[in-house]
Amino acid sequence: MDKSSIPMRSIYEFNNILAAPSASEIDELSDRCQSLESRISSLNESYETLKKREVELTEWRWVLREAGGFFDRARGNAEEIRQSIDDDDDAPLLRDVEQTGQGDNDRSFGAMNIGFVAGVIPRERVAAFERILWRTLRGNLYMNQSEIPDQIVNPETNEGADKNVFVIFAHGKEIIAKIRKISESLGADLYSVDENSELRRDQIHEVNTRLNDLASVLRNTKQTLDAELTAIGRSLAMWMVIIKKEKAVYQTLNRFSYDSARKTLIAEAWCPTSSLGLVKSTLQDVNDRAGLSVPTIVNQIKTTRTPPTYVKTNKFTLAFQTIIDAYGTAKYTEVNPGLPTIVTFPFLFAVMFGDFGHGMIMTMAAAAMIYWEKTLQRSKLDELFSMAFYGRYIMLMMGAYSMYTGLIYCDVFSKAMPIFNSMWEWPSDFKEGDTVYATRADPGYTYPFGMDWRWHDTENDLIFSNSYKMKLSILMGWAHMTFSLCWSYVNARHFKTPIDIWGNFVPGMIFFQSIFGYLVFCIVYKWSIDWNAIGEPAPSLLNMLIYMFLQPGTIETPLYKGQAGVQVVLLLMALVCVPILLFLKPFYLRHQHNKTRALGYRGIGESSRVSALDDDEEDASGSGSGTLTGGRDSIGDDDDGAALITQDIGHGDGDEHEFEFSEEMIHQVIHTIEFCLNCVSHTASYLRLWALSLAHQQLSIVLWKMTLNIAFGMNGVVGVIATVCLFYLWFVLTVMVLCVMEGTSAMLHSLRLHWVEAMSKHFMGDGVPFMPFSFKILLEEEPVE
Amino acid sequence: MANGWSLIIGLIVVVIFCGVSWFASPKGENQTVWRSSLILSAWAMFLMWAITFMAQWHPLISPIHNSLRPGYD
Repeated sequence: MDKSSIPMRSIYEFNNILAAPSASEIDELSDRCQSLESRISSLNESYETLKKREVELTEWRWVLREAGGFFDRARGNAEEIRQSIDDDDDAPLLRDVEQTGQGDNDRSFGAMNIGFVAGVIPRERVAAFERILWRTLRGNLYMNQSEIPDQIVNPETNEGADKNVFVIFAHGKEIIAKIRKISESLGADLYSVDENSELRRDQIHEVNTRLNDLASVLRNTKQTLDAELTAIGRSLAMWMVIIKKEKAVYQTLNRFSYDSARKTLIAEAWCPTSSLGLVKSTLQDVNDRAGLSVPTIVNQIKTTRTPPTYVKTNKFTLAFQTIIDAYGTAKYTEVNPGLPTIVTFPFLFAVMFGDFGHGMIMTMAAAAMIYWEKTLQRSKLDELFSMAFYGRYIMLMMGAYSMYTGLIYCDVFSKAMPIFNSMWEWPSDFKEGDTVYATRADPGYTYPFGMDWRWHDTENDLIFSNSYKMKLSILMGWAHMTFSLCWSYVNARHFKTPIDIWGNFVPGMIFFQSIFGYLVFCIVYKWSIDWNAIGEPAPSLLNMLIYMFLQPGTIETPLYKGQAGVQVVLLLMALVCVPILLFLKPFYLRHQHNKTRALGYRGIGESSRVSALDDDEEDASGSGSGTLTGGRDSIGDDDDGAALITQDIGHGDGDEHEFEFSEEMIHQVIHTIEFCLNCVSHTASYLRLWALSLAHQQLSIVLWKMTLNIAFGMNGVVGVIATVCLFYLWFVLTVMVLCVMEGTSAMLHSLRLHWVEAMSKHFMGDGVPFMPFSFKILLEEEPVE
Repeated sequence: MANGWSLIIGLIVVVIFCGVSWFASPKGENQTVWRSSLILSAWAMFLMWAITFMAQWHPLISPIHNSLRPGYD
C-alpha cells in the first residue's frame, strides 16, 4: 500500500472509536482480512509479473534500437573495406573491431567466428563492468554502449535506475560465454539481437506490439488493484483500532485468575467507589447482551493494602494536577495539593510577571488556544507549542493574574497607568533641572489601588519599590508556607495519627510563627504607624531580626513598648519547640510499641516471616496491573493462599510491628533539622518573587527606552518610519523576550516554590497512581498509523 | 477617600465574596474546584492589594525627580 501511496483515512473521522469491540466484529474482521489478503496478493503478484515483463520488453526494445544503431554506423564507415572481404554483414564490424580493439596482427584470425553480446546494465556498474571485461579477456573485445535517456523502474522495489545499453563484440565461443557469465553476474540483462537488419526491424516491431498489449493489461490490473486498496485504506485504520483493542482485552483477561473448582474467572481490580455502580450496571448490560446464563458477580474485597491514588480531573484541572504528579503521586486520601495549586501557581507566577500589557498578551494567547481547542487538538503540534497548548488553562490563569498584579504594580508595558488621583503632588514653582520633592496632597489620602503612578520615572523609584516588593515577597511567602503547613494538620487528622499533630505540626507551627510570623507582624505593624507624625525614627526590621538572635533583650530602635520581653519569649518558644520536634514523636512511638508488647501481642508476620512472599515482587505485580492478590475468600484451594493472606495482614499492620526505635529517631532528627533550616532558607527563597518582578520591570523599561522611546524623539518622515519600524521591533521583542522567555523563567520559579517550598511542608507523596484499563489511553499511547 | 478604614472595608468585601462564592458555586462534581479557586484567589488578590496599600499608607520617603519640566502635571 505504501508502494502505491494510497492515503489512509484519518482516524479522527470515525466517531465511535472508543466503543468496546463486540465478539462478532473481530471474527468478521479476520474473515474479511483473509479473503482480502489473498485477493490483493494475487493481484499484486500478477501486477508484478506483468510489470517485469514490461520492463524486459522495454529494455529489449532499447537494446534493439541502440544495437541497430551500432550496426548501421559500423556498416556506414566500413563501405570502403567491404570489397576486400566478403559480403557478410559481420565484415565491417570485424574491421571496426580490429581497428580499434586488437590491432593489425589479429586481422585475418577468426574472421568468421566474431560473436556479440547485447544487453542492458545499470549505469553505475558500467565502469566496473568494462574493467573486469578488459582484464579477463585481456582486451580481446570491442564494446559499444549508449545511455538510455529514461529511467527503468524496477517493479519489485519501485525504484528507478539509469541504465546503459551495451553491445560487446568478441570472437571465440568461449570468450562469448565468458562475457555472458560476467555480465550476468554483474546484474546485466542480456537480450538476443539479430544481426540481420531486416530481422531486427521485425523484432522491434513485434516487441512494440507486445509492449502495447502489455501496457493495456497492466493498466487494467493497476486499476483494479488501486480500487481494492482504496477500499481497504478507507477502513484500515478502524480495523487496526479494533485489533489493538482486542489484543488489550485479551492481555487483561490473561491476568485473571482461574478458579478451577467453580470454573469461573476471577478478576480483581481497583475502582473508584463512586463508579462502582457504573461498573456493576455495565457488567449487567454486557451479560444481558451476551445472553449468558451465569451472571457476573461483583464483590467488594476488604483489604489492608493501600489503594492507588486516583484524582479525577477535567480539562481545566488536568494541567495543574500534572504539576503535582510530576513531583510525586499523593498518598491515598492525602490532601491533594493540586486544588490550591490552581490559584497559587498562577498567582505566584503573576507576582513575578506583573505587567498589565504582558499579562494581556498571555491571556489572549491562552484564550485563542482555548477557543480553537478542538482544531488544535487534532493537528500535529511541535514540541514547544504542544507544551504551551497542554498548559493553556494555566496560561489563562497566569495571564489573568498577571493583569491584576500589573494593575497593582501600576505597569503596562513599563508605563504608568494613572487611574486614580495620585497621593503625591509636584511643587509648582521650580526651574528645569531642579531636584523636586513631591509632597502628599492630603495626609489622609492613600492611593487606593496598587502603586501610585507618580513613582514612575522618579529618582528613588527603585528604593521604594525594592523595599515594597521585598516585604511583599516575605509576606506572600509566609502566607503560602503557613497555608501549606496547615495541610499537614489536615493530613494528620485524616490518617488519625495525633502524634503527627502534637509532635510535628504544633511545634513546627510555633517555631515558624515565633520567628517569621513575628517578622510579618513587625512588617505590618511598622507600616501601620505614621513614624513622621509621632516624630520617632523608624526601626530597621533587618537589624531587629538579627539582634533578636544575637543579643536577645537589646533593642536598638524600639518598634513598640515591651518589645524586648516579647522577643525573648518568642525566641524561647522557638527554642523549646526544637527538642519537642526532635524527641516527642519517636519516644511516643516507642512507648506505644512497648505497651502493646507488654500486653502480649505479637505480629503475625513477625514469627512466620518465612511463609510470606517477597513483598517487593508482590508490589510490582500488583501495581503494574492494578490488580491485587491477597485477602480474598475464594482462593482457598490455591496453593499459596494461606501465605498470601498472612502476608497481607502482616503488610497492613507492618508499621507497628516492625518498629525500630533507632530508625524512627534518625528519621525524626533529619526531619527536625530539615524543617528548622528550611524555615529560614525557604523564607529567603521567596525573595525570588521580588528579584524576578524587579528584573521583569527593569527589562521592559530598558526595552521601551531602547526602541520606541528613540523613535518618539524624531520628527517628520523619518520619525514616522522609525516609529513604525521600531514599533515592530519593540513588539516582537516584547513577545519573544518578555512574554515567552521571562514567562518561562517565572513559571519555573513558581514551579520550584510549589515543589520545594510549599509541598515539603505537608506532602507525603508515596502513593501509587491509579492506572485504569481504558481504550482511550491505549489508543493515545500507541496511536494507529 | 482612602485611608486606614479601606483595609477593614476591603476585608469585609472579601469575606462577603467568599461567602457568596461558597454558596453560589455551580453544583456538581466541580463544586469544590470552584469554591476553593474563587476563595483562594479572592484572598490572594486581597493580600496583594492590602500589602501594596499598607506600604504606601505612611510612606517614609517621597518621590524625587531631577528632570521634571515646569508645567508638568
